[in-house]
Amino acid sequence: MDSKKLMDIDKQYINPYFGGVLLGLLLLATFYISGRGLGATGAVKSTIVTTVDKIAPKHAEGSNYYSRFLTDDKHPMNNWLSFETLGILAGAFLSGAIGGRLKLKVEHSPRIRSRTRLIAALAGGILFGLGSQFGRGCTSGAALSGSGSMALGGFIAMAAIFGSGYMFAWFFRKLWI
Amino acid sequence: MKEELIISGRMNPGIDPYLSIWHWEIPLYLFLGGLAAGLLFFASLYTILGKEKQMQATVKWGPFLASIALVIGLFALFLDLKHKMYFWRLYTTVRLESPMSWGAWTLMVITPLSMIWSASYIKEIIPKWDWKFEFLNKAEAWVIKYRLGFAWVMIVYAVVLGIYTGILLSAFNARPLWNTSILGPLFLVSGMSTGVAAILLMSRDHSERKLLSKVDLLLIGIELFFIVHMFMGFLASSEVQIQAAELFLGGEFTVSFWVFVIFLGLIFPAVLEILELRGYKIPVVIPAILILFGGLLFRFIMVEAGQLTRYLY
Repeated sequence: MDSKKLMDIDKQYINPYFGGVLLGLLLLATFYISGRGLGATGAVKSTIVTTVDKIAPKHAEGSNYYSRFLTDDKHPMNNWLSFETLGILAGAFLSGAIGGRLKLKVEHSPRIRSRTRLIAALAGGILFGLGSQFGRGCTSGAALSGSGSMALGGFIAMAAIFGSGYMFAWFFRKLWI
Repeated sequence: MKEELIISGRMNPGIDPYLSIWHWEIPLYLFLGGLAAGLLFFASLYTILGKEKQMQATVKWGPFLASIALVIGLFALFLDLKHKMYFWRLYTTVRLESPMSWGAWTLMVITPLSMIWSASYIKEIIPKWDWKFEFLNKAEAWVIKYRLGFAWVMIVYAVVLGIYTGILLSAFNARPLWNTSILGPLFLVSGMSTGVAAILLMSRDHSERKLLSKVDLLLIGIELFFIVHMFMGFLASSEVQIQAAELFLGGEFTVSFWVFVIFLGLIFPAVLEILELRGYKIPVVIPAILILFGGLLFRFIMVEAGQLTRYLY
């Protein structure tokens, strides 16, 4: 990548360290406003629970997993994380508009095709979805919000997610560089 | 002969404990009627202002969509009728005190008018269009010659149509949420805003879109102002109105109204339009679709919530 392109990227994104501080402050504000932390996979889970409940209500009721999120008085989508996710979509769109990044594209290494990258992304997403349910939360819900509330599980999740990411990155580097 | 007594009261089905007679047909119609009113209002307005050349999508293509919206909306109204074969009876009487009579006659005027307007521009879409009969060619020439007159008639009826979609609800004096005269102007402004959003989707002209974005921002501002005043009015009124407002202030419509109608349907698209006017690249389809969706949901919520509110307990 030549230096001109790098400069363009610099203009499009804020400094990552500054971004990290903003994220921490956002988490603080989230605890203050909603009484709970951030989450990213929660809304997807609520959507799946709702869909399963609509299509196969008997199965959802009988299932140990789905039934935990189904109560008579509250719709599974009526959840702070569903609305937080809507806000993420709106905010991300705004950020893309301001940074001039609003374009439909697949980011990948020049050595692979978009299709390979999309298949890898889908596979990674499935693994992450499974992992987040085993670990009772994802990077945001378990690692970030968990360690923000000084939960030991949060710190372990943080170390495990980024540690294993660091370890496995070498094997999948061709998707990126 | 069998005699039949019709008594309207609480013992009728669908009246007690709360009204449940209006389903998807009415809010869909109110949305499409408001959309058509907005489209036709701006088509007439920019014709009267002599800006047909600068505002092609507004003046020429908007009314096509308005005709389609009106036909679908009228069909939805027809589906809602209990005695479908007697719809024509609305046209055997004129009752100035009845909003439904006003609406029926307004639609009788504005639906054909929007079709005539569209027909007079059809040769600009399909250059090889042939009317086949000479009298149709003459009629087209006549419409084109007197277009300004048509525009004046259409703008008046567009405003009546837009207001009537709100007055239809506010004439229900037994439903506290609907029984506010601000509903007429509020639905008019909301309809105009959805109309502008629809034109934004059709327009390919940058300067037209820019002007329409500014108009839309103004309309969104007025709409928010009306909504705030509607709630202030409810809260300063009697207990039933306060309870009606509480459906939106902590009650069951709080989330759907404030998140989807106010934030995603008005404020967020307004922010996007402001950014676009300031030179940021934003696909116009996003704010436009959000506004249209917000307008549709607004009518569904108002019709649904209004039926739940009542005076007698």
